[in-house]
Amino acid sequence: MSASVPAKGASNGPEISIEGVWQRFQRLESSTPFVALQDINLSIAERRFVAIVGSSGCGKSTLLRIIAGLVRPTQGRVIHCGEVVQGPHRSRGFVFQADAVFPWLTVRQNVEFGLRSRGVERSERRRIADHWCGVVGLAESADAYPRELSGGMRKRVDLARVYANDPDVLLMDEPFGALDAQTKERLQGELLGIWGESKKTVAFVTHDVDEAIFLADEVVIMSSRPGQIAARIPVDLPRPRTEDTRISDEFAERRRSIRKLMRELDQQHGAAR
Amino acid sequence: MANRPSIATGEAEVGFSLTGATPGGPTQDATTLGPDGRDGSAAPAVETASAADEAVLRHRGEFWPRLAWGTLSVASVIGLYWAFTLTPDANQVLTPPPPAVVEALVTAIANGSLWEHILASLFRVVIGFGIGAGLAVVIGCTAGWFRLGGYLLDPLIEAIRPIPALAYIPLVIVWIGIDEPARITIIILAVFKPAVVNARQGMKEIPKIYVEAAESLGTSKLGTFWRVALPNAVPFIMSGLRIGLATGFLALVAAELIASSNGLGFLISNSGSILRIDRVLMGIVVIGIVATILDALAVRLQAHLTRWSEVRG
Repeated sequence: MSASVPAKGASNGPEISIEGVWQRFQRLESSTPFVALQDINLSIAERRFVAIVGSSGCGKSTLLRIIAGLVRPTQGRVIHCGEVVQGPHRSRGFVFQADAVFPWLTVRQNVEFGLRSRGVERSERRRIADHWCGVVGLAESADAYPRELSGGMRKRVDLARVYANDPDVLLMDEPFGALDAQTKERLQGELLGIWGESKKTVAFVTHDVDEAIFLADEVVIMSSRPGQIAARIPVDLPRPRTEDTRISDEFAERRRSIRKLMRELDQQHGAAR
Repeated sequence: MANRPSIATGEAEVGFSLTGATPGGPTQDATTLGPDGRDGSAAPAVETASAADEAVLRHRGEFWPRLAWGTLSVASVIGLYWAFTLTPDANQVLTPPPPAVVEALVTAIANGSLWEHILASLFRVVIGFGIGAGLAVVIGCTAGWFRLGGYLLDPLIEAIRPIPALAYIPLVIVWIGIDEPARITIIILAVFKPAVVNARQGMKEIPKIYVEAAESLGTSKLGTFWRVALPNAVPFIMSGLRIGLATGFLALVAAELIASSNGLGFLISNSGSILRIDRVLMGIVVIGIVATILDALAVRLQAHLTRWSEVRG
């Protein structure tokens, strides 16, 4: 295991702890603010893979951005390794849904980006970048510019760039949402492969229940308006998970129960409104 | 990538493009180099590469028809003019026939006076462009990126924006005089305006996601400026500089018309005052050729610096 920069806090405490987070947005047409997130409390244990699912507009992306430090909550706080999150930090790697690969840099230069920010020496940078280019299957495209790559390959560059920077936590905001179904599944498998080796803490936002079940140790379901945590469901499917996992009865069973729960929540919610 | 360099120059009153191409704008064949949208994890690099080759081939395929029809078009205009000069009413002094213009050109080349004028003009353009472009990039990037920089510099940039550089000529004459520094000052002003507006725009057009990505990779604010905002703005900066080169050259000729003893602008104004219209026409043609060569060099530099970009200048 390579070194992580911020010292880990109390040994077995949660890596990320979200404490009483609210997010309100002022609306133009009304004096009452829109509540995007209402009193979110959630802790994510070290090395856990947590998927956050919910319909669009439930505030799941906002929550992830608050964890990253890209957005400040209206109220409440996020603790990462014993420290209050004040802004973005390299210990919390973020993978965006949209293409965030820098087009003016080659694949290798993109992967080296965070290392350069840290002042890692050139030969070491190169070694790490080449390693990660290899892991994501881009060794041969290392000197290509992103415009020469497909969407799926660019996503791999993004992943390699974040991994090369060796964060403690991986925050992924529907990273595969813009890809076609086949590429998406392939990248899910690759992600699990990489994660299986490094076991970083992951918070993965998606609206795709299958994706959440396939990847995560735990699925957190959010309801919308206001965004709240509705349920936390452990996924005890054995690892390593493979393509066979997707077509297994256990998988189907969990999908059925989670979908059922989500529908019930939806109906309750509709009734309450 | 919505990195489409804008041409926010407000330069319509004197704006012109040396080659007739839209500076920095997406060229016709650029779309074929755009994002392919497909995934194709199988062999996408090969696919896109062949798409790019196709675009190049198509561009090459356009070369000969473009040249042939272009030549025909220019030749027709010259031919019409020539025909006019042969009519009985035509005055050989006021409208010299093309062979007389060619003769003037040959003479000017042979006695070395043409080179002297070209070198004098180029010297002014190089110095004026260097200073104007340098100032514009530094000031434009500062105004576009740093909040305080914008507060301080935006009003000044907006204030000079609607004023043509040539309007400063009387002021420059009074304050600086009629010597070399005055002419170079006018060129600096002409280059500065489009270059500063584009550089500032380029810094403002940075997609938020790039800044967020850089910051969550642990990059400092200053690092983000140098390593993200600035390279992202290069297509804008380059198209601003290209327009600046064109307007600078335009201003040069105007500056030399006013007070000078050499240079291409002087060549035209001086020849005009002694009714040597053959030399005036020759000067105009030479200015066109020199300007086209300068712009072609700028285009090559621009293409090199923005080779990563999907939209190519």
